[in-house]
Amino acid sequence: MPVIDLRGEDRIVEATLRCVARWGLSKTTLDDVAREAGLSRATVYRVVPGGKDNLIAMVSAVELARFFGELHEAVQGAATLEDTVVTGVVTAARHLEHHGALKFMIEHEPEQILPLFAFTNLDRILDNVRTFASPYLEPWLGDDARRGAEWIARIVLSYACAPSPEYDLTDEASARRLVRTFVMPSLESRPLTKEVVSHVSN
Amino acid sequence: MRPRDRGASTERLLQATFACVARYGIAKTTVEDVAREAGVSRATVYRQFPGGKDQLIGDTIRWETARFFAELALAIEHAPDFETTLEEAIVFARGALKQHAVFQKVLETEPDLLLPRMSVDDSLVRAMVATFVKTHLEPEAGRLAAGLTVDQVADHVSRLLLSFFNAEGSWDLTDREQVNVLVRTQLLAGVFAETLRHH
Repeated sequence: MPVIDLRGEDRIVEATLRCVARWGLSKTTLDDVAREAGLSRATVYRVVPGGKDNLIAMVSAVELARFFGELHEAVQGAATLEDTVVTGVVTAARHLEHHGALKFMIEHEPEQILPLFAFTNLDRILDNVRTFASPYLEPWLGDDARRGAEWIARIVLSYACAPSPEYDLTDEASARRLVRTFVMPSLESRPLTKEVVSHVSN
Repeated sequence: MRPRDRGASTERLLQATFACVARYGIAKTTVEDVAREAGVSRATVYRQFPGGKDQLIGDTIRWETARFFAELALAIEHAPDFETTLEEAIVFARGALKQHAVFQKVLETEPDLLLPRMSVDDSLVRAMVATFVKTHLEPEAGRLAAGLTVDQVADHVSRLLLSFFNAEGSWDLTDREQVNVLVRTQLLAGVFAETLRHH
């Protein structure tokens, strides 16, 4: 959504992403970002008071919000559960694939990017996705929407991290094949909640 | 007491490296430390590991990872079928990783030095998980849903298995009931021709 960028935040985020896509995160300094954004150093240091760590946190938060915004727009037209899932998966995979900064880091700075997607940080990402995505699945999945959302997020992330010989999730037909094969059978089985579990075992 | 220099076996040097990493972390461990810990000279270490520290650290991580998979193999030994194998694997892996003090410490303080060496796009851990999954799936290939191959399923399941080794998400993976439901309703959804029953 276009908002007036009073504090120069958007320009700083854009400039940071361009710098990282060009020469990586470790070589990007706040001075580089200021120059790229066409702002004075003083402005950048005012918007990002804690230095580089805060810059990374700010860029990540803005990027995550944008990513969710993109997903929200994309799934508006989806009428069925399968279409919602396929659209979500393709949108997410394309976003990750076309993200210049992420791409550079995965290729050249694994030590910078991997910790952001592993262990505790993976838990944090899954938590964010559950919170964002479950409302879109709830009409079909009810209480199971959170675990369904998490399951889909795990699939997207694990396929984005290492290319698969079988599925290309940026391609809609390929993604639909994966969703039909491995995701829908899980979402349609729906026995994830306690009540259903005890009901089935009786 | 450790016997002094009897010519250092590779294993002894890896053990020594592991002990040093436990004490000082990856960044601060030196070849000197490893030599002292193993009771050998630096020259002996370099003869055995010409790549020096980098090779010591890399090989130690590989060695410890292999040990993890050897223990995993023991943990699932008696599983009667593929779904139980995966359940046992998840319960074992989460427990073993949580209790691995050195791994946890390095993960917290030096993830940048550890993870690239064992990450998903490095062949190390991913290849081991894929081999593990494939080995146990192969005997049950006849159960696969129409149109699926062992390779295709092994690739898919090992990706997701790794994801659960990394993060529990909303599941409590120490709870066998939950792991049972997870494996049968998510990890193996669509994989077999029959619908899997769970607790």
